[in-house]
Amino acid sequence: MKFLLQQLTLIIALSTFTMMANAAQTTDPSSSLIIFSATDTNAMQPIIDAFKKASPELNIHYQEFQTNELFHAIQRLPEDQLPDLVISSAMDLQIKLVNDGYAQPFTDPVTEALPGWANWRNEAFGFTYEPVVMVYNKPAFQGKPLPNTHEKLALAIRNSNDFFMNRIGTYDIRVSGVGYLFASQDEINSSISSRLKENLGRVVANLHCCSSNIIEEVESGKLVFGYNVLGSYAIKYARTAPTIGIIFPEDYTLVMSRVAFITRQARHAQNAQSFLRYLLSVQGQQVIADKSGLIALHPGVDGPFTYSRLQRDYPLRFKPIPLGPALMVYLDQLKQRRFINEWSNAILYDVFVP
Amino acid sequence: MTKTVYSLQQQLITRTGLLMLIVFLILSAGVWDYARRAADLSYNRLLNSASLSIIERISVQDSQIDLDLPYAALSMLELAPDDKVYYEVIDHRGQHLTGYTKTPSPTNYHPNSEPIFYTATYKGEAVSWVIQSKRLIAPTANGWVVIKLGQTKNARHELSDEIFFSSLATLSGILLLTLLMVWLGVRRALQPLSIISENLKSRSPNDRRPLKTPAIREVTPLIDAINNYQQQLLNNLQTMKVFIADASHQIRSSLGGIQGQLDVTLQASDIDDIRSRLVNIRQQHKKLTRLTNQLLAHALVTHRSDSMEPQSIAVNPLVEELLTEIVRDHAHTQIDFSYTAEADNIRIPGDKVSLKEALKNLLENAVRYGPENNQIDIILRPGDANMLEIIIDDSGPGIPAHQRRQAVQRFSRLSADASGSGLGLAIVETVIQAHQGSLKLDRSPSGGLRVVIRIPGARL
Repeated sequence: MKFLLQQLTLIIALSTFTMMANAAQTTDPSSSLIIFSATDTNAMQPIIDAFKKASPELNIHYQEFQTNELFHAIQRLPEDQLPDLVISSAMDLQIKLVNDGYAQPFTDPVTEALPGWANWRNEAFGFTYEPVVMVYNKPAFQGKPLPNTHEKLALAIRNSNDFFMNRIGTYDIRVSGVGYLFASQDEINSSISSRLKENLGRVVANLHCCSSNIIEEVESGKLVFGYNVLGSYAIKYARTAPTIGIIFPEDYTLVMSRVAFITRQARHAQNAQSFLRYLLSVQGQQVIADKSGLIALHPGVDGPFTYSRLQRDYPLRFKPIPLGPALMVYLDQLKQRRFINEWSNAILYDVFVP
Repeated sequence: MTKTVYSLQQQLITRTGLLMLIVFLILSAGVWDYARRAADLSYNRLLNSASLSIIERISVQDSQIDLDLPYAALSMLELAPDDKVYYEVIDHRGQHLTGYTKTPSPTNYHPNSEPIFYTATYKGEAVSWVIQSKRLIAPTANGWVVIKLGQTKNARHELSDEIFFSSLATLSGILLLTLLMVWLGVRRALQPLSIISENLKSRSPNDRRPLKTPAIREVTPLIDAINNYQQQLLNNLQTMKVFIADASHQIRSSLGGIQGQLDVTLQASDIDDIRSRLVNIRQQHKKLTRLTNQLLAHALVTHRSDSMEPQSIAVNPLVEELLTEIVRDHAHTQIDFSYTAEADNIRIPGDKVSLKEALKNLLENAVRYGPENNQIDIILRPGDANMLEIIIDDSGPGIPAHQRRQAVQRFSRLSADASGSGLGLAIVETVIQAHQGSLKLDRSPSGGLRVVIRIPGARL
């Protein structure tokens, strides 16, 4: 039923887009740039604005999707309606698209500043550095020790069932692609991830679609703890909301990167290249750090929303999720079914069933 | 006719270079093949361990075939960091179970637990595949589960290129070094030549010292030959000088003698005295004439043998004609001549004038050095292998065996006796050499001298 609904929204989104795209094409095709993105428009808009200032002649059509929607759209659209650039936070889905041959290589000196894990085949490029963090409500944790590792969190939940009961939030991995990615990376990186899942289930964790929801509820005090939320959003919220506390787990802090690639079928490959070049350049990264609320990856950029600042403040814990075919393991049909089953069995543990 | 001049050094180096180029090409082909196979081998092993780790995770649960795809399988393939990965699992009924669809299989594949490697295009790119099967023996699922795992070839190409180019670099280094060594070697080997020619060039014509022998074994014979040749030239020059000094002395003294005799004769009034003095003058004059003739004859035969165009000479009439002249000149003496021709119409290639001069000299020698009642035998006979032999025997004193070699040398006389010019045998020798023949001195049956001349190319 849910699947059907998804399909329907996708079809509506696609048809509106197709109309838009056609309309755009009638103007001047050579000055167009079509971007499909699964990142908040709010975050991307400053970057696009800055890019437009640099190349005012370009006509940018920006279309926002959910991560899964975007993935299916790329697979289903006829070749001549594919966008020029695809941006998504679902690293695994992006890698699958690249592996399936939807991307074209982009070789440019600007990519040399990227760390190895953020560049696959010169086709998929990570352009942000967003830690996966835990958030907590500061007043609620007054006088309590903070669980600053995954192990301590599992222990804390087990030891204070009542405190956490119904007051801890995390992603619903059945709905959120990013949530699924974080959960699968926990599984790969930590031997206690099952225990943690069991404990989250025991205290009836609230499941959400998005990081912002979790953070807002933690801020309001409805939740006391949020597990696996996007660090970029958390840092942004914490600047204005003094009740929000952020934990960068000391055992390992996953780092997600938003991934962009130019489609092989891009009709405005030149424009897509200049946009991607801007996105990865020091100037573009500075805009990301200053205005987007995302975290810049370029080591040459400084400010509160940068890789360099995070490395300085929280050394020796970041574990970027590397771009590569191994990300496709949890996209395997059987593996996915098995993993979601396991997850559901653990998290949806019904404490009230006798 | 012009001879093309070529450089030995250049030729040696060019040929060695060409040979090395061929060796280089052959080795390159071998290295290329090896590099490709080595890269394939390493990455096939990787592919195979990944496929094995996947196959281990195939299980049967509730009559369903299940696969728990291991993270390690694909993450180990990331050792080829820029390669795409495709896989497909097909269940015991031949139905697609998970992974990519419609992946290629090798032709005539029979499920087998051994891995099979093959290359096939997938999604428009050449992909290296491994296919491997696992036999399921369960009541609900009985049969072969097939796993196909593929990886694009970037890393393989990179590795094989790296092996290929680094080996090629080493190889070219070695070959260049070898070429350099060859170049140095050839230069070193040919250096004595230029040293010798420098040496010869810078020598003054009056320098009579022999060339210094360098301490190289291979060059010593050449230096020795040059020095020998030079020594011979010097010797000839020396004898020539002595001869010219002698000859001019003789000519002068003859002329002086004749002059003196003439002066005395002019004073004399007695007719008998005048007569006997005239006889003396005539004697002196004859000797002078003979000397002059010999000198001119020698110059003639030397000149003719230098620029000889061989003609066919009929030998019999030549000898007979000569004999007639000699017999006529010596008709008043007791010298007895005999002539034997073992074949008629013998013809040899050569110069008639010189040959006649040579034979005439021999006969005159025989007459001159022989006794009053000399017996001179001339034999013409065909030798073996188209050789013509001319033998002249006399019954004179002969030449002792140890002096025969010296007798044949130019401008040498066996005794200080001034009657010979020293040119007779020298003329003969020059002529015979010009005819590629040989001259041999021997003892005649009557104890005198036997001269044997052999000239090749006789036709009977």
